[in-house]
Amino acid sequence: MEGLILVKDGDIASGCNELFKTFLTSGKLEAILVSQETPNGKMAFPALISDPEKLRSNILSPILPVSEASEISRMTINKGSDKPVGVVIRPCQVRALTEIVKLNQANLENIVVISMDCPGTMDVNTFSNLPEGKVPTDIIMDHLLKGTDIDQYLRSSCRTCKDPVPMNADITIGLFGVDLGSGFLVQAHTESGERLLEGVKLEAYKGEREKAIAKVRGGKDAKREAFISSKKEIKGIEAIADFYDKCVNCHNCMNACPICYCKECIFHSSVFDSDANKYVHRAKNKGIMKMPDGALLFHITRMNHMILSCVECGLCEQACPSNIPLMDLLIPVAENAQRELDYYPGKDPDEKLPMVVFREDEYRSVGEK
Amino acid sequence: MDDFEPSVVAFLCNWCSYAGADLAGTSRLKYPANVRPIRVMCSGRVDPVFVMEALKEGIDGVLVAGCHPGDCHYQSGNYKTNRKIKLIKRLLSDLNVDPGRVRFEYISASEGQKFADTVTDFVAQLKEMGPNPLKEGCK
Repeated sequence: MEGLILVKDGDIASGCNELFKTFLTSGKLEAILVSQETPNGKMAFPALISDPEKLRSNILSPILPVSEASEISRMTINKGSDKPVGVVIRPCQVRALTEIVKLNQANLENIVVISMDCPGTMDVNTFSNLPEGKVPTDIIMDHLLKGTDIDQYLRSSCRTCKDPVPMNADITIGLFGVDLGSGFLVQAHTESGERLLEGVKLEAYKGEREKAIAKVRGGKDAKREAFISSKKEIKGIEAIADFYDKCVNCHNCMNACPICYCKECIFHSSVFDSDANKYVHRAKNKGIMKMPDGALLFHITRMNHMILSCVECGLCEQACPSNIPLMDLLIPVAENAQRELDYYPGKDPDEKLPMVVFREDEYRSVGEK
Repeated sequence: MDDFEPSVVAFLCNWCSYAGADLAGTSRLKYPANVRPIRVMCSGRVDPVFVMEALKEGIDGVLVAGCHPGDCHYQSGNYKTNRKIKLIKRLLSDLNVDPGRVRFEYISASEGQKFADTVTDFVAQLKEMGPNPLKEGCK
């Protein structure tokens, strides 16, 4: 099921907001989790809203302050919802959600996933400190309508996004290949999506969506390729150590990551603690020992633990107080690792995680020199 | 580099490889004394963090050994280790650390000779590679 929803004056955000309102007023959804701007417009946060009157969502607001997938995990990890709850999240977060469901960290029972074509998001600081007169939503609308280049505003992971169009959503709000001056596209991909759109007035859609998506993808893919090949120089252990030099061991990247989920992280445990004699012994090993010494090990281990499920949302980089461009290293490494194990995170909900399955006939690394 | 003696950490599975190493000893087989065995209940217990920590602290090579396919005491631990090691090697080569510093082998309880051969071969290979670049400095 798909069709256009017409809006007045090209006000897509209000049009979507009205649509979400009807979901609540008709009782089809008990509540909806959607990003909502703070009253001063300087920030936006996901909010779980049950009162339609309180709904002031703006899906065009280009910001992703926290992982929405993590919030859905927080809500559903102990028990899924008894009544339908809608979640309006970005494509990278749908992919992250797919991954954390595989990791048994979220329960999608009665969760209706609504996602949208994503033009990209800004860093929290860019968003809230835009020059006087610039409105984030207008910048995005300008980009969507006239194709203005907005890369200067976007986070690096959004500039090189590999999937700006959602997969595995129940409902997609289409912005690409749609005449946004008159309305936006909605597509229901599943039964629960169709149930939600029942009774909503839809006009026939005759645009060339596939073509428009291919164009957006093409542009992003080219940037991604250029990005990856420009990062070849961060290789060799010296370069890697230099890369993480500014790390202050705050572990914000880990907390911001939707995939890093362990409740008891090995790096928060006492595994690496020992007594003074041992420290001195370790110092004697090399004659010098950095204190605390865990940063490099932490990053490489974190990489090893979650790289196969990395959806490249870039929240780790956004959370870093030292502004380490973490994606510079993560994207090329993730690309290689995922290709090696033939896995595309977030694509197929039924495909098992590569580290929990095996084929008996694969012994390639055994005895490898 | 003739006098360079590489240090090797070997994570040996309790059910097969550790017994294999034991057999090598009781059979009085000769193999280089560079290896420091650590017994784990299953090669699947070897978290990447162990391997990385060892390399970071300046160990020259890490050997992980588990049961042969189909023999795992816990059904599938060795298969999963295989995948894990594949990922570790991929990551190491991306970081430009020679992935040859990590080796995974299937060694059964009756393969004392294989254990001795593996260690001999690995140590010779590491001697050729030279010391782990992470041995020096405070990174």
